[in-house]
Amino acid sequence: MIFAFVVRHLRWFAHIPLAPQVFDALLLTWTALFRRQTFAAIMEVEAFVRTLPGVSLCAHRFGGTGFACDGREFAHIHGNGLLDVRLFAEEARAAVASGRANVHHVLGASSWVSFWLRGANDIPAALELLKQGNCAARQPAQDSNATKSREFLR
Amino acid sequence: MSQPPPLPRSSEYIGRILAGIIVANLVGGIVCAFGYWIGRAANPGNEIIVPSLLLVPVAMGMVAAWIWKPLRLGMGAALLHSLFCTVFTIFVAALVFREGVICVIILSPLLYASIAAGALLGRIWFRTDRLNLLIAPALVFAVVGELSLRGSHHSVVVDEVRIAAPPSAVWPHVLAFDRIPAAPDYWLFHLGLPYPTSTTNAGNFAGAARACEFSGGAVFDETIVEFAPERKLTFDIIKMPPDPELMGHLDAHRGQFELRDNGDGTTTLVGRTWYSLHVRPAAYFDWWTHQIFRAVHLRVMNNVKRLAEAAP
Repeated sequence: MIFAFVVRHLRWFAHIPLAPQVFDALLLTWTALFRRQTFAAIMEVEAFVRTLPGVSLCAHRFGGTGFACDGREFAHIHGNGLLDVRLFAEEARAAVASGRANVHHVLGASSWVSFWLRGANDIPAALELLKQGNCAARQPAQDSNATKSREFLR
Repeated sequence: MSQPPPLPRSSEYIGRILAGIIVANLVGGIVCAFGYWIGRAANPGNEIIVPSLLLVPVAMGMVAAWIWKPLRLGMGAALLHSLFCTVFTIFVAALVFREGVICVIILSPLLYASIAAGALLGRIWFRTDRLNLLIAPALVFAVVGELSLRGSHHSVVVDEVRIAAPPSAVWPHVLAFDRIPAAPDYWLFHLGLPYPTSTTNAGNFAGAARACEFSGGAVFDETIVEFAPERKLTFDIIKMPPDPELMGHLDAHRGQFELRDNGDGTTTLVGRTWYSLHVRPAAYFDWWTHQIFRAVHLRVMNNVKRLAEAAP
């Protein structure tokens, strides 16, 4: 609720240097204290992503832990368990249509999709999205003849 | 693919966590001392200059994360050790700077969140060695730059109370009042924050001395600068109590009571306090300052309301 309020009404807050990171640290602390299952799921997802070849952690500019492939961020997870993943446009549409993910909480319909990580049951679906995002992040470099439907939107 | 080095033994683990906490605090102390020196040079009129209490703890968190790097901490461990680091910092601040309970309460959330943010960022950034050399000078520049470019921050807190009495009945109780009988109702008052108890007035004219007494013997010396009977009383605060919780952090300059006749036998009493804030981030400390001044205003104004409405 607080996160949604800040994202919707206090977007300027994100442009204050370090403010999003401090806010996300508070969110993560809140999650660690009062939503233990979500926190455990966040840690498990992070641990999994770190095992993917070529993937490194990065700092998401609006707060949260980012996941990058060859230096390009393809996903990030906020302190409240909101996972955002970048897919190909076609895959993003399919993921939203099938209910596997939601449209991005800020950008709306785009290559980015959002997924709420609330507990252990959500981990498999989150990992699937992350694998998909990781593949998508690698593909343009490997396949320069990607068709239009395999492009990113925004 | 190369395997990561093995994790240290538990004794090494604890040693490294403690080293991170102590070195982070040492660096924080050095940055504060350096900032104080720069701040004095940039603002010679001000006695105590505190560097940004957002930037310095973030830097501390990063220093700790750099020392904790071989431990490959997860999010939970980084948060937990940031909490230990915060507790240690508060302990040092209470010991060295004699910060009181109220300061500690106000500062703790910001301190913890900033140290944790720094530790979480450092945990990510220091996985690769590329950024290490860039971050240290960037942080020093940020602290020094913030101090050098820092402008003065002034604000005013305004509160209103509607009183079921005409301005003529309200005015005498605005000028001075005996000890307020009501128990303090703001949570920080219960924890030791001084609260207003009474006001004395040496005369009903501009230039007259006035004193607002607070619990614990704290006295704000004031001089009336505007005296408009039954309409407005404005006073400059010429001397604040030498409280370490206020010195260098906050200056209250002026206070005012304005009486607005509502024309129906009631009065709207408006209380204002103008102040300057010397600690940053201003948005964070402004919020606290507003809460505290609001509690002070309402305690006084509700007492005026009680007295005015009880008058025959």
